[in-house]
Amino acid sequence: MRSLATALAVGVEVALILLLVSLSSGMLRENSKRISGVGADIVLQPPNSSLVLAASTGAMSVKIADLVSRIEKVRAVAPVYLQLNTSGGLGLVWGIDLESFDRITQGFIYLEGRGFQGPNDVIIDDIYAEGRELRLGDEVKLMNHAFHVAGIVEHGKGSRVFIPIGTMQELVGTPRQATLMLITCHQPSDIPQVTAELERRLKSYPVFDMSSFAAQVEEANRDFGPIKFFTNTVVFIATLIGFFIIFLSMYTATTERTHEIGILKSLGANQGYISLLFLKEALMLGGLGFLLGLGLTFGGRLFFQWLMPTLHHQLPLWWLLFTGFLALFSAGLGALYPALRAARQDPIEALAYE
Amino acid sequence: MKTILEAIELTKIFKTGKIEVAAVQEVSLKVREGEFIAIMGPSGCGKSTLLHLLGGLSTPTSGRVLVDGEEVSSGKDAVRTDIRRRKIGFVFQRFNLLPTLSAQGNLEIAQEIHRNGSRNRKHVEEILNLLGLEKKTHHKPSELSGGEQQRLAIARAVINRPAILLADEPTGNLDTRNSMVVLKMIQELNRALSQTILMITHNPEAASIANRLIEMRDGRIVSQQQDGEWNRAEDRMSL
Ligand SMILES: Nc1ncnc2c1ncn2[C@@H]1O[C@H](COP(=O)(O)OP(=O)(O)OP(=O)(O)O)[C@@H](O)[C@H]1O
Ligand SMILES: [Mg+2]
Repeated sequence: MRSLATALAVGVEVALILLLVSLSSGMLRENSKRISGVGADIVLQPPNSSLVLAASTGAMSVKIADLVSRIEKVRAVAPVYLQLNTSGGLGLVWGIDLESFDRITQGFIYLEGRGFQGPNDVIIDDIYAEGRELRLGDEVKLMNHAFHVAGIVEHGKGSRVFIPIGTMQELVGTPRQATLMLITCHQPSDIPQVTAELERRLKSYPVFDMSSFAAQVEEANRDFGPIKFFTNTVVFIATLIGFFIIFLSMYTATTERTHEIGILKSLGANQGYISLLFLKEALMLGGLGFLLGLGLTFGGRLFFQWLMPTLHHQLPLWWLLFTGFLALFSAGLGALYPALRAARQDPIEALAYE
Repeated sequence: MKTILEAIELTKIFKTGKIEVAAVQEVSLKVREGEFIAIMGPSGCGKSTLLHLLGGLSTPTSGRVLVDGEEVSSGKDAVRTDIRRRKIGFVFQRFNLLPTLSAQGNLEIAQEIHRNGSRNRKHVEEILNLLGLEKKTHHKPSELSGGEQQRLAIARAVINRPAILLADEPTGNLDTRNSMVVLKMIQELNRALSQTILMITHNPEAASIANRLIEMRDGRIVSQQQDGEWNRAEDRMSL
């Protein structure tokens, strides 16, 4: 019974780590997919900008769009202003110029409504609409400003929420500025040439081809200080809890079984034999806990999917293995002292133990 | 006959706070191969303490113990444990079986410890048959009678053919009938397999099956009798 409770506690430890990782990594993957779904070939960022788009403060003049569009073999350029919205849930809002943005993306697929009709219109994707039960004409508060839903589009093109870039610039107080330029070329084979030309003309401006941009954004978000710190802290605390649970459980178990230890000693079992006996038991508990944790993770995932269908989950195999290792490691470490203490008992005292 | 066990001026002093108890004092003893010795004496005279010293479960304050030529009285736990594993079988008043294991499991774990891992199921079955426990192979100790438990404990103690069997009041927890069965078994081990045995007992009848009787008092051996002197010893005790 106690063993089961202990294994379950380790299972919760495992599930906690795996759910956190699966949620955050699913979000990052989904985010990067959406970015590559925009359809641009090349991304231009202003100097001193960050790949963690939500935290990027760099901006450049929209005039650069004109300069870029005159480069040979460039088919379209779209300035975008990205801003983190914190009112009513966290998320990146993209300020776009609908005309140029459509040229990059080949146009939104409207499930309902249409594009911006006025400065206070917002376009949202179907997942955002469903998650918040929004319909055409409904009010949405973004950056402390009221917008109205003008169109609901199929998801997958950069953001879930778009507002006119002019309104964005006004709200942020940066007129005629953009945080990204999305660029398409006439032919995919033109990309290297255009990239080279951009690098030549705009020396301090980072230039990416789209696939590497999406991948690097994902990577950068993963390594983003606060996120990484949060993940590491949760993993550390969960492991520590696992350690203490196993420690307590094995400490009690070895005390309860003092008499049995005395018997084994009288039979000539050495310290290695006895400590290994308890270490093995702890590792079994850790392993069982890990399996229970996998079950809990799976259940938790179903629960989250039901609770918040917009959330994406992705569990890298590496994390699965690492968490398994952590469960066994904390179990082994937690059992170490109780096992050694058990092995060092005086046989006569142990035999006399009631 | 070869000497299997030798104690040389063994002394064990327990210190509890400022009080010192000399539980065993300058005991010297030689046990020859195939001998069956009974130790008797009043409660608290140091019988168990002596047995623990002889079996390497504890270390003497002074003196030495040699089992089959090996020094057991060394201070090192690992050395004593190793000699216990290879040379000594214990039987106690409380049967000291492992409660979570079956009868068979209790025998197998003794084999496993003795051979550093390997088990021999066939030998286990033979022994269980010999004890009349073949139908109880898969029973837990709690599902066995006291007599059956003690028989199993004796089987476990001798399954690895120890140089000497040390028994501390093996019939102390048994009724007369079961005591008889267990004593018969011990005697049989000594006669048929020439198992060397040293047994503590309070029961003169039990002591009578041994071929040497040692009496202790206040931590010392006060008298020793061989087979022939038996009756006189009993006469003296009843006087
Ligand atoms: N661990 C210990 N600490 C202190 N004193 C002890 C300890 N073990 C035994 N003694 C003392 O040593 C003396 C001998 O004890 P021992 O158990 O050897 O007696 P015994 O002859 O086996 O008695 P019994 O027939 O009742 O089993 C006793 O006075 C006992 O109180
Ligand atoms: Mg005693």
